[in-house]
Amino acid sequence: MTSINPEILQRALLREKAARKQAEKILEDKSKELYLITEQLRKANKKLQSGLTEKTTELQGVFDNLVDAYVLMNLKGEIINLNGAAKELFGYDVSEEKINVIQLIYKDDFEYAINSFKLLISKGFFSDYIARVNTKNKGIRWVHINASIIKNSNQKPIGAQGIVKDITNQRAIETQNKKLLHDLEKSNEELGEYAHIVSHDLKSPLRSINALVNWLREDYENILDDSGLKNISLIEQTLEKMEHLINGILNYSSINNNTDLKNTAVDINSVLQDIISTIYIPSHTTVTALQQLPTIKGDKTRIQQLFQNIISNAVNYIDKEVGTVSVSFEENQSHYIFQIKDNGIGIEKEHFDKIFKIFQSLGNNKNSTGIGLSIVKKIVEAYEGEIWLKSEPKVGTSFFFSLKK
Amino acid sequence: MQAISFLLIEDDLIETMKFKRVLDGLDAKHTISQAENGEEALRLLKSTKELPNVILLDLNMPKMNGIEFLTSLKNDAVLKYIPAIILSTSNNRKDILECYNIGIAGYIMKPLKYGEYKTKIENLVAYWSSNEFIKV
Repeated sequence: MTSINPEILQRALLREKAARKQAEKILEDKSKELYLITEQLRKANKKLQSGLTEKTTELQGVFDNLVDAYVLMNLKGEIINLNGAAKELFGYDVSEEKINVIQLIYKDDFEYAINSFKLLISKGFFSDYIARVNTKNKGIRWVHINASIIKNSNQKPIGAQGIVKDITNQRAIETQNKKLLHDLEKSNEELGEYAHIVSHDLKSPLRSINALVNWLREDYENILDDSGLKNISLIEQTLEKMEHLINGILNYSSINNNTDLKNTAVDINSVLQDIISTIYIPSHTTVTALQQLPTIKGDKTRIQQLFQNIISNAVNYIDKEVGTVSVSFEENQSHYIFQIKDNGIGIEKEHFDKIFKIFQSLGNNKNSTGIGLSIVKKIVEAYEGEIWLKSEPKVGTSFFFSLKK
Repeated sequence: MQAISFLLIEDDLIETMKFKRVLDGLDAKHTISQAENGEEALRLLKSTKELPNVILLDLNMPKMNGIEFLTSLKNDAVLKYIPAIILSTSNNRKDILECYNIGIAGYIMKPLKYGEYKTKIENLVAYWSSNEFIKV
C-alpha cells in the first residue's frame, strides 16, 4: 500500500477548481452571446413581421380599390378571393359559397373559355379574352379578361389571377354606333340610288310628251295655225329645260357615289380642249389657257365637269363685245390652285355664298338651272380643296379652286 | 332590204307607240311582237315557232328586270343566239358594263326628242336589215 501524498492531492484540487471556473466563464459568455443573438433575431423578426404586414395591407388596399374586378383562383378554377368590384360584378361572396370559374362561363362561350384556359396553363397568361359570363344578379354580362399564372418561390404554379372588365355597356354602344354608321352609309347610298331612279322615272314622261307633241305637229300640220305651232315649240323648249334640270340633279347626286376619286392621270390641257369643242361658245368669246396646264390625278369625268361648269357659266354671262375666259394655275406642296377668269357681268359680293347653293341661279339665263356651281363645289370638296372667287360687277369674275395633289 | 321580225319588251305604252310609228314609216314590212316584261317575253320565246330576228328591251321593267331577262336568255341553248339590244334611259356605267358582260348586241340611250329617237331607230333597223341571221 502506498500512502497518498497530501501535497499532490492539494495541487490536483486546485487545478480542478481553476478548470471548472474557466468552464463556467465560457458557459456564461456563450449564454450571453446566445441571448444577444436571440435578441437580435427577435428584433429582426419583428421588423420583418411589420414589413410584411405593411406590404400585405398595401396589397390589400390595391386589391380592394381596383376599379376593375380582380379574381384570384387556384389551379382547379376554384375562386379564392374576389375584390370589391368582382363581388359587385359577379354577385357572389366566396366566404359564404364556393364558386368555380366554370360556373361563371356562359354556355356558348365554353369552348373558347377552355381554349383560353389551356393557353393560360401552357404560356402562363392570356390577354384580351372577350366573352360572356353568368352573374348572380346582373344576368349575362360581356367581359374582357387578362389573366396570368401565379407561381411560388420555387417557380411552381399555385394559382391564377384575372383582371375582369365589364364591357357590356361599351359593347352595346359600339354595336349601336356600328349599326348607326351602317344605316347612314346605307341611307346615303339609297338616297343616291333614289335620285338616280327618280331622275330616270321623271325623264320617261318627258320623252312621251315630246313624242306626242311631235305627232300632233306631224299629223295636224294642216289644221294648226301659227299660234298652235308656236305653242308646240314652247312645249318642246319647256321639256328640254326640264330634262336639263333632271340631268343636273342626276349629276349632283352621282358625285359621291363613286369613292374612287383618284384613279387616272388627267391632262387639264386636253380637258380644256374637250370643253371648248363640246360647249357652245359664241364667236365673240374666246376660252384660252394662259400657260401650259398640269396633268393631275383624278377622275376624268368629274374634273371635266368641274371645269366645264365654271367655263360655261363664264361664257354664258359675258356681256362685252369681246369676251375672254382664261385658265391659269399655281401650285404649292399639297394643292394645285386653278384660276378661271372672265370679263363678264360680275357678281355682287352679297351673292358669293349663295351661288354655290343648289337651285340658286342669279340670272335669268335660260340655260341656268342653279345646279352647276353646287356640283362644282361638291367636286372640289371631294378632292379636299376649296373654292372662292373675286369679282367686280360689270368688270368680270375670277373663280379660284384648289385640288389636292 | 330584208324585213326583220322584232320582239319589243317594253312596259310603257307610248314607248311602244313610238317604236311602231317609226317602223310604220319605213318601206320594208318589219314585224313586231311585244311583251310587257321579261317573264312574258321568255314565255313567248319558249312557246313560239317563229323566233324573232332581234330583241329590243328596256332595262327598267317590272317583275323580271332587263338584266335578269338577259341572263336567262343567254343561259338558254337556243335563245342565246338572238341579238339583244338595250333601249335605256340610263347611261349608268355599271349597267352598261354588266349588259356587255352578259352579252348584248347594242346599247341605245333613249333621247328626249322624238326626232332623235326616230333617227336612232331608223339607223338601227337599217343596220340589222343588212345583217345575216341564223336560219333554222
